[in-house]
Amino acid sequence: MKIKQKVLLAFVFGFFCFPSLRADAAESSGTASAAQKEGKLVIYSSTDSASVEPLLQDFKSLYPFLQVEYNDLNTTEIYNRFVAETAAGSGTADFLWSSAMDLQLQLANKGNALTYASPEISALPKWAVWQNQAYGTTFEPVSIAYNKRLLPADAVPQSHADMIRLPKEKPDLFKEKIATFDPEKSGVGFLMMTQDAKVFPQFWDLAKTLGSSGAKVYTSTGAMLEKVGSGEHYLAYNIIGSYVLLRQKKDAALGLVLPKDYTLVFSRVAFISKAARHPNAAKLFLDYILSKRGQTVMSEKSLVYSLRSDIPGNITAAGLTKELGKALKPIDVNTEILAGLEQNKRLEFMKQWQAALKR
Amino acid sequence: MAVIGVALVVCGPLGLILYQSFLSEAFFSPTAHLSVEAYRYVLADAGFHSAFGTSLLVSSGMTIISVPLGSLLAFLLARTDLPGKKWLEPWLLVPIFLSPVVLAFGYVVAVGPVGFFSLWIKALIGRVPWNLYSLFGLILIAGLTHVPHAFLYVSSALRSLDPAVEEAARVAGAGVWRIAVTVSLPLVLPSILFSASLIFLLGFELFGLPLVLGDPAGLLVLTTYLYKLTNLLGVPSYHLMAVVALSIVALTFPLVYLQRRMLRTAGRFAVIGGKGQAFRPLPLGAFRWPAVFLLVLWLLVTVVVPLVGVALRSLVSSWGEGVKLTEVLTLDHFRELWGYPNLVRGIVNTLVIGAIGGALSVAFYAIVGLAAHRWQSSWVSFLDYLVMLPRALPGLIVGLAFLWVFLFFKPIAPLRTTLFSLWIAYTVVWLAYGLRLISASLLQVKPELEEAARVTGARQSLIYRDVTLPLIRFGLMGSWLLIFMMFVREYSTGVYLLGPGTEVIGSLIVSLWGTGALDLISALSVIEVALVGLILFIALRLGVSLHA
Repeated sequence: MKIKQKVLLAFVFGFFCFPSLRADAAESSGTASAAQKEGKLVIYSSTDSASVEPLLQDFKSLYPFLQVEYNDLNTTEIYNRFVAETAAGSGTADFLWSSAMDLQLQLANKGNALTYASPEISALPKWAVWQNQAYGTTFEPVSIAYNKRLLPADAVPQSHADMIRLPKEKPDLFKEKIATFDPEKSGVGFLMMTQDAKVFPQFWDLAKTLGSSGAKVYTSTGAMLEKVGSGEHYLAYNIIGSYVLLRQKKDAALGLVLPKDYTLVFSRVAFISKAARHPNAAKLFLDYILSKRGQTVMSEKSLVYSLRSDIPGNITAAGLTKELGKALKPIDVNTEILAGLEQNKRLEFMKQWQAALKR
Repeated sequence: MAVIGVALVVCGPLGLILYQSFLSEAFFSPTAHLSVEAYRYVLADAGFHSAFGTSLLVSSGMTIISVPLGSLLAFLLARTDLPGKKWLEPWLLVPIFLSPVVLAFGYVVAVGPVGFFSLWIKALIGRVPWNLYSLFGLILIAGLTHVPHAFLYVSSALRSLDPAVEEAARVAGAGVWRIAVTVSLPLVLPSILFSASLIFLLGFELFGLPLVLGDPAGLLVLTTYLYKLTNLLGVPSYHLMAVVALSIVALTFPLVYLQRRMLRTAGRFAVIGGKGQAFRPLPLGAFRWPAVFLLVLWLLVTVVVPLVGVALRSLVSSWGEGVKLTEVLTLDHFRELWGYPNLVRGIVNTLVIGAIGGALSVAFYAIVGLAAHRWQSSWVSFLDYLVMLPRALPGLIVGLAFLWVFLFFKPIAPLRTTLFSLWIAYTVVWLAYGLRLISASLLQVKPELEEAARVTGARQSLIYRDVTLPLIRFGLMGSWLLIFMMFVREYSTGVYLLGPGTEVIGSLIVSLWGTGALDLISALSVIEVALVGLILFIALRLGVSLHA
C-alpha cells in the first residue's frame, strides 16, 4: 500500500469510527466562532483566584480571543448579586460556579439556567447532571482534618463511628479540640450535616458528642484549618478535602482522613445563566472544565479532586474510588437537596442541632 | 441645597431598607407583597433578643472603656509635656486602619489559647490566665481598639481650646489631674459626647471582632445574628435582615437626642479662641512617668500585641503548640503573595480610593459643613440625625443596599462597576465622621472674620473661598488624612460594588479568607501597615497635622 492510500484509509476509518467526535468538533467550533464574536466571559465563582489560575490560564491558551472576567466571591455574594442583577435586568454573570450546591440548584430550579447539553456529558456520572442545566464539576471528599503533631495516632478517627467513640473514650484529649462548620451560618456546612443525617443513622449521637466535648463551630474552612494547624483544635470535622490538600503544601502537620465507613462527596455546581450576554463563551468554559484536559489541570495544578472517571491520579474520582469504593456517597446534583431549603424542616434541623450542642 | 443632597444620598439606601422590611420577600421579587411578618418573626425570636442584649452590653462596655481612656490620652498628648509624644502619636492610629478581622486574628496568634505569648506564659506559670474567647475579652479588645476614635475627636477639640483657661487654673494652684477633670475635658464635652455616641453605634456594627473572637463559642451579637439570617432559611432573607438593621437605626434617634440635650447645657461653656496665643504645655510633674506607663501599656495591648501576632504569622509556615518558631521562619508568604492575581491593582485601588477619594469626600463634607455652619435653622438639627443614620447600618446590609440602589436606580446604574460607586458608598457611610471633623475646624473661625469680609461687600461664596476655607486648610488636611485611613480599611460597604478591576485590599483579604490563606492575609496586612504608615509618616513630616 502506498503511503497516500494508507492515510486515506486511516482518514476514512477515523471518520466512521468516531462520529461523535466529529460532530462535537463541528459543534464546538461553531460555538467557538460564536464565542469569538462575543469576545468576553463573565464568571461568578466561589473558587479562589489563586487556585483557579491554572485553569483560567489553560482556558485562555485555548481561546485567546476571550477576555475572561473572573469574580472571586463567596457563595452568598454570588447568590445576592445574581438575583438582584437578574431582577434589575442589568446584565449579570454568564457562568456561575459555586460550592453552595443548594443555592445553585435553587437558582436553576427557578428557571435561571440555560439548557445546554455539553458534549462531555457522556463522560460524567449520571448524578452530576441535572436536566442539562446544572452540572457537578468536581468530586471532593468530605474529610476530617487533624493535627499530626498533637493528636496521637490511636486517637485519629477513621470513621464516623470513631467520631462518636473516641471523644467519649478520651474526653480530656478532645475537650474543646474539635472544630466543625456552623450549620446555622454556613450553607455548605448545613448541606453536609443534613446529608450525614441521611446516610448515617447515628448522626445525632455524633452531634451530641460534639456538644459534650465542647466543639467549636466556624463559618469558614480557612479559620478551622488554621486553628487545627496551630493546635488550638486537634481536628476539624466535615472539611472539603481539596482545601486540606492545598493547606498541606504549606503545613506538613496537617493530616487528612477519608472516613472508611462512608465518605460524602461534594461537587461544585456550575450553570450557564439564561440571561447570559455571552452564552457561547460560557458553553466553551463549561465544556472546558468538564473536558479531560480541564479536569486534568484541575486535579494536577489546582489540587481540586476532579469528577471524570477517566483521569488517572490520586486527586481524582478514579483515585478515590480505588481507595474507598462503595463507601463514597456523592451528594446528587438534583432538586432533592432543595428539601433542605424547606423552611420548617430546616428550622427543625437547626433546633435539633442547637439542642445537641447544648448552647 | 447641600442638605437636600445629603438627605437624598442617605435616604435612598435607608428608604429601600425600610420598604424591604415591610415585604414578604425580596423587594424585586414579583411575588413580594406587603407584610409585617418579618417584624413578627424577628421580634418574637429569642435569638434576636439575646443578640440585641449582648450587643448592648458590648457597645456600652466598649464606650465606657474607650471614651474615658481616649479622652485622657488626648489630654496627655495635646496639653501636657508628656515625653516622646511626637513619636507615639502615629502608633495610636494603627487600630483605625487595620481591618478588624486581621486585628482579631493577630490577637489569636498572640494571646489565643495556643498563641505564642500565651504559650510563653504557660511555660512560665503553668497555665494561661486569660480567655480571649469570652464576652469580657471581646468587650476589652473592642474598647481598647476604639480608643483612637475618642482620642481623635477629643484631642482635636482640646487643641483649639484657649490655653489661657488652663493657665488660669494652674496659676490658681490646680494640679494637672484637676485641670484635666474640672477644666479642660468639661470644656470639650461636645466632642466627648459625640465620640461616645459614635463609638456606641460602632459597637452595634462590630462584625470582624465578634466573628473571630465570639462566634466559635456561640456568642451571638446583632451583626453575627444578621449573618445567620443569610443562611437560616436557606436563601438570604432580606426582609428579616432589614428589620434587624432598622432596630439599630432606631437606636440612633434617642442617642442623637440625648447628645443634643446634653450639648444644650454644655454649650454655655464653649470657650473657643481664634487668636493664636502661645501654647505652653502643662507640666505633668510627678504624673510624668505614670502617664508614660499608661500610654505604653495601652499601646502594648492594643497595637503591639496584635501587630506582632500578624507580623509573626506572615513570617512562619506554621505556629502554635509544639512548633519551634525558629525552625519555621520563611519569606515564602511574601513571595507567594507577590504572584497573587490582581495584588498590585488591589493595593493601588485602595490607595487611590483612600487618597483621591478621601480628598473628594473631604471637599464634599466641607461644602455640607459650610452650608450648615452659622445657619440657624431646625434643618441643622435634622442634619444631626440624618448623618448618623448610615453609620448605624451594619456592613452586611449597607453593602446590599448600595448594590440595590446602583442596580435599580437607573440614572446612576452605569457607575456601578466603577470605583466611583465605591467612593459614593464610602462617603455616605462616613458622613457623620467627616462632617464632625470639618465642623470642629469651622468652629475655630470666629464670626468676626467673615463679618469683616461681608462688610467690605464680599459675596457669601467669595467669603468662603477667600476667608473661611484658607483659615481651615490645616483642619481640612488633617481630616483628609483621617478619612484616608477610614477608606483604606473600609470594605463591607463596597462588597457588592467591587469587581475585577476595582479590587481593594479588603476584597483581597476576603478572597484569601475563603481558603484560609491566613499566612497570605498576614503578609498583605504587613504590607498595608507599612504602606499606610509610610504615607502617614510623610504626611506628618510635610506638616499635615491630625488636628484642626
